[in-house]
Amino acid sequence: MAASEKKRILVVEDEAHIAEGLKLNLVLKGYDVKISADGSSGLQAWKDWQPDLIVLDIMLPGIDGLSVLRNIRLEDERVPVLILSAKGDSDDKVKGFSYGVDDYLAKPFNLEEFLLRVERLLLRVSRSAAGDRGGYHSSGQDLIYTFGGNRIDFGTLTAVGPHGEIRLTEQEVKLLKLFIANRGKPISRKQLLEIGWGYPRGMKTRTIDNFIVRFRKYFEIDPHNPVFFKSLRSVGYIFDPNERGS
Amino acid sequence: MQPSKWKWMVHPIFVFIFSIVALSLSLILYIFWYVEVSTGLKGVIERANFDPGQILAPQTWVVILVLSILVAIILAGIFIIFVYNLKTLRLYRLQRNFINNFTHELKTPVTSLKLYLETFKKYELSREDQLKYINYMIHDADRQADTINLMLNLARIESKTMKGRFVRRNLVAYLKQFYEKNQHVFNGGEVYIHNPSGRTLECRIDLTLFEMLLMNLLTNAFKYNESKAPRVDITFRPKGRKLHICFEDNGIGLRRTELKKIFRKFYQTGKSENMTAKGSGLGLYLVESIIRLHKGSITAANRENKSGSVFTVVLPLNAAVSDNPAVAATDFRKETEDGRVREETDPGC
Repeated sequence: MAASEKKRILVVEDEAHIAEGLKLNLVLKGYDVKISADGSSGLQAWKDWQPDLIVLDIMLPGIDGLSVLRNIRLEDERVPVLILSAKGDSDDKVKGFSYGVDDYLAKPFNLEEFLLRVERLLLRVSRSAAGDRGGYHSSGQDLIYTFGGNRIDFGTLTAVGPHGEIRLTEQEVKLLKLFIANRGKPISRKQLLEIGWGYPRGMKTRTIDNFIVRFRKYFEIDPHNPVFFKSLRSVGYIFDPNERGS
Repeated sequence: MQPSKWKWMVHPIFVFIFSIVALSLSLILYIFWYVEVSTGLKGVIERANFDPGQILAPQTWVVILVLSILVAIILAGIFIIFVYNLKTLRLYRLQRNFINNFTHELKTPVTSLKLYLETFKKYELSREDQLKYINYMIHDADRQADTINLMLNLARIESKTMKGRFVRRNLVAYLKQFYEKNQHVFNGGEVYIHNPSGRTLECRIDLTLFEMLLMNLLTNAFKYNESKAPRVDITFRPKGRKLHICFEDNGIGLRRTELKKIFRKFYQTGKSENMTAKGSGLGLYLVESIIRLHKGSITAANRENKSGSVFTVVLPLNAAVSDNPAVAATDFRKETEDGRVREETDPGC
């Protein structure tokens, strides 16, 4: 990536006036800007366009901003995300930071402050990128994860379970990461769909069930009596790695 | 919640005190009667020549009856407190919902205004750009004003002091006028007005409030509408001394479970926890309050076999002029008010 190239900023904001105002200012500052009006098109733009920074609203139609953030963080720990939200309580901020946001500004914000924060975030990223020459997707996250007698290698996309070695698909890896990040906590099918796939509608929750069946086949000694990937009636699923797997 | 809405009888503090008094009274009486009954029993046994059943039985029944009544009062009191608590809890949840969404509704225009003003301060934009953004700002200011008006109007209607200034109006003509005046608000959505009975339908309405009501119903119909040609059909059907006005749209419709809830204060379709709900949750509550002020009622339903919803407003007809038997109301093919001929496919609406 040439250093002289314009930095790309993705603005995910459903209020057209605010989105356009942000774009106007960022373009005047010399950035390349793209607007997405909802969560799923934002995720799509993030994948296709690979922006250097994402400015994210929380209250979005369809998938909300926090789910968008969690989806991004499953694959990419590095891209800086700045949340711009009407919800400015410290509780909201803590929630945002716990999901891996880099900066949080409450609306209405000061334009100069916003522009400076954007500049800082971009500068920090380009510095650390120059430091370790790491690939775009490399992250500080452990590449090997073990639970029970199972071992997942996120580097090579393989796993070893009680029934032998398994080659994982990208979607399986993504869901596994989501389960591991939320171990011990129940996750609803809807959340799994929204965060794991990034589609609000059109997909059946059955898809999730099929993936769970596969995971049980891979990692459970007895797939019919699961100890790790358990269903919770009328809630969804829970991944509990602390269950003893002999 | 307004405490004035609750009559003193069901005020939770009164209920609570009453239940406790009843409880202690029942306890005292229970002990008193028990002592009395046992001494009575002793005396009876001493005299021996009486049959104990004759004297004791009726008294025991009185004790049981009084105790049952007192217990019933206690239970009723506790039950009322329980229900009241549930309501408070629900209201609390709704209020949070409201704060969440009103935060958004109030802050968004301000954010936009501030953003553009700061941009203007920072850069010298071309006249063309300036005009474009100034128009945005005007739009945002209007939006803010609408939100504020909604809150103020609601406060006015809810405070019982509001009487309303009612005037007699031909509703069909009034609605046509309203649509012509406000057409620009509906973003290309079409409104068709039908009056199959052909009668002059007069009701007593408060013009300001009624305009607010129509605005809410129609903007909702077009806001929650994904079809290519959004339209609303308004049909007038006089039934006895009542006038039914159906607002039928081709929008996304309502979930079955929501049909009744949508008129509740702060209620919103969509969910607050994932923040897909937008708006104040007050629009339809306002509509219902206005209708109630007009001594009418409103119900919501879905269209049969197609997407879209039907809102039916029922208002009392102004009897003095409503009867005009010249036109038979049962004729299914009628010329509508806007000059088009329309097949009446849904006379049950």
